[in-house]
Amino acid sequence: MASPVLKFDHVSFGYDGRTIMRDTSFDIRSGEIVVLLGPSGCGKTTILNMVAGFLTPTAGAALVDGKQIEGPGPDRGVVFQAAALFDWMTVAQNIAFSLRCAGRSRADQRRVATEMAALVGLSNFEGHFPYQLSGGMRQRVGLARVLAAKPRVMLMDEPFSALDVQTREQLQEETLRIRDRTSCTILFVTHSIEEAVFVGDRIFLLTDLSDGNYEQFDVELPSPRSASENRLNPEFLRLREVIYRKMLQRVAH
Amino acid sequence: MTESRTTPSLAKRRYATLAVLSPLALLAIWTLLTARGAVPPVILPSPLAVAASLWDMIVNGYSGISIGTHVAASMTRVGIAFTLGSLLGITLGLLRGRAQAIDALFVVPSAILLPIPPLGLIPLFILWFGIGELSKIILIFVFVLLIMMVNAQAGANAVGVDTLRAAQSMGANRWQVFRFVVLPSALPQIMTGLRIAMGTALTILVASELLGGDRGLGFVILDASSFFRTTYVFGGIIIIGFIGLISDRVIAYAARRIVHWEGRR
Repeated sequence: MASPVLKFDHVSFGYDGRTIMRDTSFDIRSGEIVVLLGPSGCGKTTILNMVAGFLTPTAGAALVDGKQIEGPGPDRGVVFQAAALFDWMTVAQNIAFSLRCAGRSRADQRRVATEMAALVGLSNFEGHFPYQLSGGMRQRVGLARVLAAKPRVMLMDEPFSALDVQTREQLQEETLRIRDRTSCTILFVTHSIEEAVFVGDRIFLLTDLSDGNYEQFDVELPSPRSASENRLNPEFLRLREVIYRKMLQRVAH
Repeated sequence: MTESRTTPSLAKRRYATLAVLSPLALLAIWTLLTARGAVPPVILPSPLAVAASLWDMIVNGYSGISIGTHVAASMTRVGIAFTLGSLLGITLGLLRGRAQAIDALFVVPSAILLPIPPLGLIPLFILWFGIGELSKIILIFVFVLLIMMVNAQAGANAVGVDTLRAAQSMGANRWQVFRFVVLPSALPQIMTGLRIAMGTALTILVASELLGGDRGLGFVILDASSFFRTTYVFGGIIIIGFIGLISDRVIAYAARRIVHWEGRR
């Protein structure tokens, strides 16, 4: 098996004497979408923040391409729940931000902005400002600006949970299409079982990481994964039920 | 909002009407109060008497110096102090908002200085900087700086955590985070600060011109009042008031253009 893009090697994390996560290990392969699923407070966002470089493990190692993560960087872009776009920049400027920071030419910035806007279905909106866009379109900009940096891993932190159901489902499908076209590796955090099963190749069900345990599920749905039909597939419905029952058990404990 | 049923152009016209009617109403009350002789003219002169003195100042100047020279002298002082004070205040405020050590350096001195009335500093400033231009400019400069520092710091503190993290995770270095994220996030607050600072600068202008000299709008007002030429006091006040009105409108207009995203998120 090829070496993993992302590796957690016996990672622990805590602060003020509290243990959030103990001795947690996993590997994520290139091109894979791994979903961290669990209720709020289970530590899924902690994992994402460590990969992003916003938090540092208190023990163990978090590695990207075998190298220890040191602080945030464009190889690990984040799509935030509230988009966190720069309101003072146009869509194109938002998308090209990482190139601008890297000192790339204006022509490069324009070319990549056009290309990425097209990839996320926002052609002709390059000159708009974020406040002129709907919630779903803002998240598309959030996706595009991360993809523009050609990241090793795209980190998605409950990216669609503030959107209405139709928009959310559209964007879930869009995420899968983008993965097919860019073969981008994605770490996806959500508390929605449906979203996890629809989007994920693998699901890590986290309830309490303070003992380092989580359950893993492989998702096997027909290609193309982005087909809305998959939401009615028996395997989709079965897995959704299995995970739901697991969660009920855990909560009952 | 309650204006949901009015069209934008109608709302705009109503705004303009009210904005023009309110000073006219004040003028009418002023006229009524003085016309019936209820108030002695040396306390509150009639608008017509003030207008006559204003006209006299415009045509003949005041104490042998043209009104344009008075205005220019005052505006030069305010202009220099406002520009330098706001540039330094904004820079320090943004740094204070983002770096705890810098905030710690300034927190006590600036909090002590801010509530001191400018008039209280005048004797000291005469001792330190003399009675020339320098002490007048520094007096205005200090208060503009303090006001802008408070506002810029509040603005810099208002940057969202996710917005900062987004910039960092797209490869922005410290300077780029500052330039592309902290500064624009703080702009709404900075523009509001500029309006307050300009108002305060004009207020302190009059006090600063107590520090000697024979020109400036503050000098006109102070000189006229010591000779009980109340109509000229009002004339000077009206000129300063108009300068305040125009500068406030200019900054507010610039703010709407620059901070176009404000209130539309």
